Amino acid sequence: MSDVLKELEGILNVTLPGNLVEGAIKVEEGHFDIMCNVTNAFELMKILREDAGIYFLSTISGVEKDDEFNVCYHIQHRIEDEFKEVPINFIITKIDKNKPKTPSMLEFFVAADYYEREIYDFYGIYFENHPFLQRLILPERWPDDVKPMRKEYGWEQIKEITMKITKEGLEEAKQ
Amino acid sequence: MTEQYRSRFRTLTDGSDAPPGADHHIFIGPQHPWAEEPAHFIIHLKGERVVEADIRIGFNLRGIEKAMENKTWRQNTMLIPRACGICSAVHQNVYVRLAEKLAGIEDQISERAKLIRMFSLEAERVHSHILWYGILAHDAGFDTMLHITWRDREIILDIVEDFSGNRVNPALMLIGGVKRDIPKEKADRAQPMLDKLIKQVEYHKKVFTEEASIRNRLENVGILTKEDAKKVTPNGPTGRGSGLPFDVRKATPYELYDKIDWNLVYYNEGDILATTLVRLDETLESLQICKQILDRLESTQGELLVRVKQRIPEGSYFARGEAPRGEDVHYGIANGTDTPERYKIRAPSLGNIDATLKRMDGEYVADMPVILRSYDPCFSCTNRVMIINEVTGEKMILNQDEFARKAIKAKKYNRPFF
Repeated sequence: MSDVLKELEGILNVTLPGNLVEGAIKVEEGHFDIMCNVTNAFELMKILREDAGIYFLSTISGVEKDDEFNVCYHIQHRIEDEFKEVPINFIITKIDKNKPKTPSMLEFFVAADYYEREIYDFYGIYFENHPFLQRLILPERWPDDVKPMRKEYGWEQIKEITMKITKEGLEEAKQ
Repeated sequence: MTEQYRSRFRTLTDGSDAPPGADHHIFIGPQHPWAEEPAHFIIHLKGERVVEADIRIGFNLRGIEKAMENKTWRQNTMLIPRACGICSAVHQNVYVRLAEKLAGIEDQISERAKLIRMFSLEAERVHSHILWYGILAHDAGFDTMLHITWRDREIILDIVEDFSGNRVNPALMLIGGVKRDIPKEKADRAQPMLDKLIKQVEYHKKVFTEEASIRNRLENVGILTKEDAKKVTPNGPTGRGSGLPFDVRKATPYELYDKIDWNLVYYNEGDILATTLVRLDETLESLQICKQILDRLESTQGELLVRVKQRIPEGSYFARGEAPRGEDVHYGIANGTDTPERYKIRAPSLGNIDATLKRMDGEYVADMPVILRSYDPCFSCTNRVMIINEVTGEKMILNQDEFARKAIKAKKYNRPFF
């Protein structure tokens, strides 16, 4: 496994210009963490997709910190001859909380469609250049301004909203 | 490139939204006899051929991720298996491995505890795969096979029940180890049952490969080539049927999968028959692994549970496991308290929907049930309850029929249950 890591580290070090990577690449046991920010994320992902040949996206998670949002792309570097995969966490940091915006990676991964729309639903982070950023998972009656995974909404509040929209739906069905 | 993004749902309100060339539109779900789970498919047809298929999901959002942020790490151990009805053990396994890594005790887990965890995972894979190809045969109109497979599936469920007390949700794992041991007499009882099941699964494989009526329904249907698979990135058996030889157990080995002798199964054909054969061969591999584990348990000793502190130190970790349906992904962030800061779950089926919709292009509408089934939807089959009399402590175990009969009688004659 360590050989694989070294090999990938070599690829990344050669192809990544120093100014693109924000906090340097952190290598843990079997894991890569790549930290970058909104302005250079698209360029960096392009290098990973086209030069390093990474085509598999496991999932994307949205994370809320105290004063910023993070979006984490969990991608896999696949070595087909050895049946090996190296997981990479590609973390976009410093997304502004008042106007959350980040580039969409739909051009590189078809699977990003579902995951980005899920984060748009849950956190209200806007993915630029996504062709149809619509609601995916939340119910139709869910209020547009409530983003349920944000810390400002507690468990009780979410329950109240759920009960309210369920009642509305039932009343409408009776009429 | 936009035609590749299949989650866009065409509304069809004024007719202008329909894909070019389509003359009929078939709506399936969210409530439909075919599907156990609420998903809404819309299939656009030209004559009998599919032009495009769309899906709308999100009818059953339970908010498990939000709920986990409000419970402690220890409470979540029993919430996490509820993420999925049938692959409950793998969710629990990925969760406990993630928590152990963050707590820094992953090296202290004994070999015996790891073996018991692996037995639970492999038994789950066996019963999930048998269930799936039984229903696939039912969808293809071959009900005899459904009855045969589900009869044989009871063997592995009996073993799981013997070991854990539950049929489908064994819940054997805890942060730091396992809850129960597998004693020698139980392991000895299970060995001949596993031998019997291996013979039965070999017979199932013979039926699927040699019986023309079922083979013709699956062969050359819904082909997903390797080039397409690299674009739509299916995971698990769906990907391994299309020549992507990746299994988390081999790719990034966890527990003791690198120390046990087993083979990676993959096929290059890409049709529904290939995914079926991947699952059939995997069932045989898993049964073989189960037998190896029971043999090794005899000579392995060790502590079952390691002491863990309630508070998990700050950090984040990305853990993966191979569920029966594919790659199960968890990402957890701890903030130093006893509750998680953020916990993300990606169950395998969401990653496979794109591939399933891609399979449908240009196929006959009559093949839709088989292709839609290929992404393996699941449901719980726990139909037994235990009733305890609060006053006397008397216990009664009933199945669904007995329970219904007793309840009707109690209502009719207005008398207590006991």
